[in-house]
Amino acid sequence: MTDLLERFLALPNTLSASPILAIGLTLGAFFAGNWLFRRMGRPLWLPPVVLSAFLLSATIALLSLDYTRYQQGAQWLMLLLGPATVALGIPLYQQMHHVRALWRPILCTLPIAASLAAVYAVVIAWALGATPLVLASLAPKSVTAPIAIGITEQLGGSVPLMMGGLLVTGVVATLFVDLLSRALSITDDRILGFALGLNGHAVGTARAFEISRTAGAFASLGMGLTGVFTALILPLAFRLW
Amino acid sequence: MSMLRGFLTLVLCFMLGEALRLVFLIPVSSGVLGMILMTITLMLKGSVSDDLATASQGLISVLVLLIMPGVVGVFFSADQFSGQWLAVAGALLVGTFLSVLTTLLLMASLVKAGQRRASDD
Repeated sequence: MTDLLERFLALPNTLSASPILAIGLTLGAFFAGNWLFRRMGRPLWLPPVVLSAFLLSATIALLSLDYTRYQQGAQWLMLLLGPATVALGIPLYQQMHHVRALWRPILCTLPIAASLAAVYAVVIAWALGATPLVLASLAPKSVTAPIAIGITEQLGGSVPLMMGGLLVTGVVATLFVDLLSRALSITDDRILGFALGLNGHAVGTARAFEISRTAGAFASLGMGLTGVFTALILPLAFRLW
Repeated sequence: MSMLRGFLTLVLCFMLGEALRLVFLIPVSSGVLGMILMTITLMLKGSVSDDLATASQGLISVLVLLIMPGVVGVFFSADQFSGQWLAVAGALLVGTFLSVLTTLLLMASLVKAGQRRASDD
C-alpha cells in the first residue's frame, strides 16, 4: 500500500522524464489563460500570455517539478518558433502597401524611433548600475517575442528576463500611447497604430485592432519593420560597443 | 494537407536562413533571415498561395503557446537578478515613455510636413 502511494507521489517526476508532460502542461495553461482572459472581460493591462504564464508557473511549483526538466521538455514546442518567425513575413508583406501611402514619415521615423527604443532602455539601465547581462536582455524590449528571442541569443542576454521586460513594455507602451496621444491631441489612426506596433509589439497591435482596422494594419507594419530593423542593427551595434 | 504544404515552405525558408547564417557568419537569427527572404520573395511574386497563408495563420495564432516556456522562466530565475530590479523598472517605464513620446512627435510632425508639401504642389 505504501509502495503504491510512493509511486503515486513520485508520478510528476517520473512523468516529466518525457517531454509530453511539459507540452501537455503548456497547452493546458494556454487554454486556461485564454479562458480566464475572456472571463475577466479582456483587460488590456493583463494580456492572456501573462495569465497563462502565471497558471503554468503555479502548476510547476505545486507539482514540485524540476524547472530545468520542464524547460527541456518545452524545447520541443520552442522548436516551432523558427518557422513561426518566418511566418511573420506573410502579414508583413500583406501590410507593405501601406508604406506607399505614408512612405516618408514611416521610413524616417522607423530607424530613429526603433533605435531610440533600445538606446533609452540601455542607457537608463546602465546609469542605474545594471550588469551587461541585464543590458543585453533589455535592449530588444520593443521587438515582437519570436524575433526578440533570436536577438537575445545573439547578444548573450537572458531570455526569461527579456520576456518579462518585453511584456511589461507592451502593456505600458499601450498605456502611454493612449495617454500621450490625448495630451498631444493626435487623432490620426495611422500614427497611433504605427506607434503602438513600433513600441508595444504584439500587445500594442492587439490594442490597435480595437481602435480600427487602419490602426491595426499600421501597427502590424510597425511591429514587423521594427523587428527586422532591430534584428539587423542591434547585434552589430553591440559588437562595436 | 494544405497546412502541411505551407509548413514545408516555412521550414525550407527557415533552413535557408540557417544556412546563410552559418556560411556567412551573419549575427542575425535564422528565423529573421528566413522572414526577410520570405517577404522579399512574396514582394517579387506579388501574391501569397493559400497553402502558405493557412500555415502562417495557424502558426501565428499559437505564437503565445510557443513563447510561454520562455515567459515562465522569469519566475524561476528572478533571484538571479536581485539588486537589478530598480534598473530594470526604470529602463522599462521611463524608456518606454520616452520612446512612445519620440515616435508620436516624429510621426505627427512628418505627416504634417507631408500634407503641407502636398498642398504646396
